[in-house]
Amino acid sequence: MDITLNVNGRQHSIFTHPGAKLLDELRKQGYFGVKHGCETGECGSCAVLVDGVLVNSCVNLAAQADGKSIETIEGVGEHPEQGWRSTEGLHPLQLAFVDSGAIQCGYCTPGMIMAAKQLLDHNPDPTEEEVREVLSGVLCRCTGYVKPVQAVLHAAAVMRGDAEPDSMITPGDIDELFIKPPEDGSPPPADGNSDISTAVRVLPKVLIAPQTEKWQSVGHPEKKVDAIKLVQGKPAFAADIEPRDMLVAKVLWSPHAHARIKKIDATKARNLDGVAAVLTHEDIPRVVYSTAGQSDPIPGPLDMFSLDNKVRYVGDRVAFVAAETAEIAEEALKLIEVEYEVLPALIDMGEVLDNDVIIHDEPEFVDFDESDASRNLAAHISIDIGEPDKGFEEADQVFEYEYEVPKVQHAHIEPHVVVTFWDEDDRLVIRTSTQVPFHARRILAPVLGLPIKRIRVIKPRIGGGFGGKQEVMIEDVAAHLTIATGKPVVFEYTREEEFIASRARHPMRVRMKTGVLKDGTITANEMYALSDTGAYGCHALTVTGNTGHKAMALYVGDGKYREKPNIRFVADIVYTNTPPPGAFRGYGVPQGFWPLERHFERIAKALELDPIEFRLKNVLRAGELQPFSTAWSEGREPSPETIETNGIEECVNQGRAAIGWDQKYGDMKWQEVPGKPHLRKGVGMAMVMQGTAIPYLDMGGASIKMNDDGSFNLLVGATDLGTGSDTVLGQMAAEVMGAPLEDVLVYSSDTDFTPFDVGAYASSTTYISGAAAVNAAEKVAERIRYRAALMLNADGDKKEVDPGEVHLEDSKAIALDGRSVTFEEIGHHSLHHSEQEQIMGVGSYVSPVAPPPFAAQFAEVTVDIETGQVVVDKLVMAVDSGIIVNPVTASGQIEGGMSQALGYAVSEEMLYDEKGNARERDLRDYHIFAAHEMPEMETIFVETFEPSHPFGVKAVAEIPMDGVAPAVGNAIMHACGADLSRNPATPERIWRALQA
Amino acid sequence: MIIEYHRPEKLDDALALLQRATPKTLPLGGGTVLNSPADDKFAVVDLQQLELTSLEAKGSNALEIGATATLQALYEQADVPEALKTAIHREANYTLRQTATVAGSMVSADGRSAFAAAMLALDAQLTLLPDEEVKGYGEVLPLRGEALKGRLITKLSIPLNVKLAYDYVARSPADLPVVCVAVAYWPSGRTRVVTGGWGAAPNVAMDGQGTEGAAEAVSNALSHASDEWATAEYRVKAGQAIVERLISEVSEN
Repeated sequence: MDITLNVNGRQHSIFTHPGAKLLDELRKQGYFGVKHGCETGECGSCAVLVDGVLVNSCVNLAAQADGKSIETIEGVGEHPEQGWRSTEGLHPLQLAFVDSGAIQCGYCTPGMIMAAKQLLDHNPDPTEEEVREVLSGVLCRCTGYVKPVQAVLHAAAVMRGDAEPDSMITPGDIDELFIKPPEDGSPPPADGNSDISTAVRVLPKVLIAPQTEKWQSVGHPEKKVDAIKLVQGKPAFAADIEPRDMLVAKVLWSPHAHARIKKIDATKARNLDGVAAVLTHEDIPRVVYSTAGQSDPIPGPLDMFSLDNKVRYVGDRVAFVAAETAEIAEEALKLIEVEYEVLPALIDMGEVLDNDVIIHDEPEFVDFDESDASRNLAAHISIDIGEPDKGFEEADQVFEYEYEVPKVQHAHIEPHVVVTFWDEDDRLVIRTSTQVPFHARRILAPVLGLPIKRIRVIKPRIGGGFGGKQEVMIEDVAAHLTIATGKPVVFEYTREEEFIASRARHPMRVRMKTGVLKDGTITANEMYALSDTGAYGCHALTVTGNTGHKAMALYVGDGKYREKPNIRFVADIVYTNTPPPGAFRGYGVPQGFWPLERHFERIAKALELDPIEFRLKNVLRAGELQPFSTAWSEGREPSPETIETNGIEECVNQGRAAIGWDQKYGDMKWQEVPGKPHLRKGVGMAMVMQGTAIPYLDMGGASIKMNDDGSFNLLVGATDLGTGSDTVLGQMAAEVMGAPLEDVLVYSSDTDFTPFDVGAYASSTTYISGAAAVNAAEKVAERIRYRAALMLNADGDKKEVDPGEVHLEDSKAIALDGRSVTFEEIGHHSLHHSEQEQIMGVGSYVSPVAPPPFAAQFAEVTVDIETGQVVVDKLVMAVDSGIIVNPVTASGQIEGGMSQALGYAVSEEMLYDEKGNARERDLRDYHIFAAHEMPEMETIFVETFEPSHPFGVKAVAEIPMDGVAPAVGNAIMHACGADLSRNPATPERIWRALQA
Repeated sequence: MIIEYHRPEKLDDALALLQRATPKTLPLGGGTVLNSPADDKFAVVDLQQLELTSLEAKGSNALEIGATATLQALYEQADVPEALKTAIHREANYTLRQTATVAGSMVSADGRSAFAAAMLALDAQLTLLPDEEVKGYGEVLPLRGEALKGRLITKLSIPLNVKLAYDYVARSPADLPVVCVAVAYWPSGRTRVVTGGWGAAPNVAMDGQGTEGAAEAVSNALSHASDEWATAEYRVKAGQAIVERLISEVSEN
């Protein structure tokens, strides 16, 4: 049918089919700012204005919009500098999103801005509640909505004339919030009177370390380097290209949890008009590999094939199709005839070890360490530190309980998506939304039968990853089809496919055993984890290893036990016929802290100890050995590591003041809600630690070159998946070179052009890749000093300048006598005038240590004691992540992490029936928190200076996942006595605990 | 999969399309449900030009709602009971509420629909073409596929002189309910109690004079309400707690 779409004032006459979605037609017309996140209107990343009304274009037919006025992000505002053409620049909303740090991955940003625009078009002075309401239809998995709400409120003020556009972050804010430690060495204030609210504060409270005072860029709330393009909805993501004749890939998924493919016939599908290729396991090489995006050698079993003659979960791959359209590809899938021999399915992780049913019986299976396919065992870990049995014997009391943590989904708003094509040199280009471009290239080469040098992986912007894209999970599908057809192929998951055929967090059953003296000293601590790795062993060993390595390292005991802790960690990681989990923010650590911190709360209560004092008595301290560092290192040789910095006690001080712990914990009157006798309030807390990179393994590289206007190109292999890592790497390089961040053009990542980096995982980027950027910048700075001296010494009348004495600041090289040359002069001189050279530096870094960040997390809840319903009212996180390079991006990480962890605490889980069918298949059933239901959140940074890094940083991205769930669980127990062993804390679980 | 799209300007034309034997033809309100992925093939009749969006109070006792009025329009209507607004708010996010129509939401509702539960408690009356037949929502809901075949809802009406109360239990404030209860209380003493949060549609647990027996009625209605989201045992207990609060609320002067 013929329709006319009037988009941003421009008419498009198009021929389309009756069922075509407005989303697809807009993207075909080049409006790539309209994003695909789901097919049911739940996520809102596709939102546009139709006749001024916010509409989800994924559930709106193009035909419905025929003749109407459509407004997309492309029509809202544009970059202010367009050469000789003058423009109105960005819309105040866009400016506010950029200034406030409201943009992380940026995938939902266009939808948010369109929603906010509709609001402000009709209501110039909205309340925070009204802003949250209009944003409720746009899900964000990165920000926790704090900064987007602030951005909209600020934009409204600017549009009313009540605020200046550039006033979101002012020197006044910084002076107020950046708290210097008292000179007399006394603790910094923790007054508990903070009035931080969403409406007024962009910056978190930061207790700064003294080393930061003279820095110009590091420690400052610089704007994200990719914010301007993301706020305009520029075609920055993997799917935002449309090569000529591009085919659409679809996959036939297994309907059975466990079956052998006896016969498969694709003849009818291949004969369907518009189908370019159908591939089954009979058509492509059988190469065993692991989809885990990790360094070589992969620390886990090799147990996966692109296509196999056996399927191991509902959602496993059966066949690939490439066709001219998605509709034809879907039709072709229905025409593939498959005869299955259905096998018994193992769904319950408790029943699979040594079962007669073997999930991996293929001869190509490659063991790693203690994996044993004949036992359905993907990995086994057994670690004894000290003498745990002796410690239990010495205890006054031993506490032993079992806990369970669920499988949960990353739910990044951009689904997995890849585009593959042959370039003009017959090299395979893979443009993919990945956290691990270099690992992807290495892993895919043998699978595709290509040498590494004939594969180029391009990582554009990523619409959220959280570990879900640390998996080489879809790239082979498109690549096989490009090889088969010679044509470009796009393969993009639907939201349902994200739930049935993607990765998740490993569910675990955990048994805790702890020996304690009457005074609260821990004498021994033991954890046994049964971990479900689903049908494939990707990340099986390392995720579960981390469960012990981090959680069980936090409490070492006190007195003689502190000097020689007794800790045991044993884990069995087993195969089941369910979708495989993988990497997920926190990487096994949240699974450890739910049981540990719930367990410690029970112990404190049983012994009538103050729960905070009990923890502080036993907590790991600076100067002590990370106990696991002598015993385990992700399947590699361990190396002892001393904890150099630990701000946990100050984190506790700050957090307990912010939540009002001392006023609430012992006050039964406070726990009552006037007029609501069925409600009880409670507070809870948890202490947590994480890691920073993997020692002796994670390596990052960076290169910097100077241009003839004094600007720099910083190329990093690190993968910014929305965290702002490009920005903080740029800040560190800028600091070293004495340049403003705006003169450092950051690019990541492309295996052809950027240096190697392991990718974005293990909280490594700021620390590892940042150190690499610093190393590269130091080399550039050295050449700048040399060139400056050369230029200044050309004036022979003055005292000769020693390059080593040249100071770099404000884009100038300044000699001791005050003479200076600008970077622009140096860049121009070095490339064009005399002793020409390219000023350039390449750096890389691998760390011998993994300094842990520490945090105290607090929650306040209200529980309905008759129904078990819990509402989380407030979350506070005080965190020692070393030096905070950028308080805006770092607090964005904390806020987003806390909101993701909030789902882990109360609402998110993935369950399967006895046949392995998923309960959750969309964002309606798998509920993630929306803007209008978020609790108040507060972030406090307690800076320490980690001596192993040039700028003293530690990790920040993963640790907020760790403590929210147990803090909420402990708050529930405080509120009403419900003592939960399993998260999430659903109403029925709380209700049942109340009946116990 | 949608194979035909029609946008008639007259009700008669729309009805004629809906009454065709083939292809299967369905009315398209906002499209938030029909435009989601589906395996079967059907045609749609877009109702957007039929001017069925009015919201009009009929005296002080009733509100007449055009079938394609959006949920958000109903939410913003001043004389809508607060509890109905709560249910609308729980039904869908802001963006979807601006597109989803009142009749479309009622017809496509499952048991977890807060809005359907509230409308069922209010005993909403639907006007259907042909013949301007008026039917209660409770009459249509169980067999809606057959009951609405070849027919078109043009408007519905809800009473404004009743007290409506609604509450629910969910994992988070904006999550779908695992159990919900709506209570409507007429000046005459008529009390209508609806339970939801599970199954294919909300259920009328009680419709009679006075509030006595409401908790027991809820208990009976939920006694087999076990599914993958909650057990019947839990739903009974939570439902009883909720209905007692709601009865207390509507019974207040």
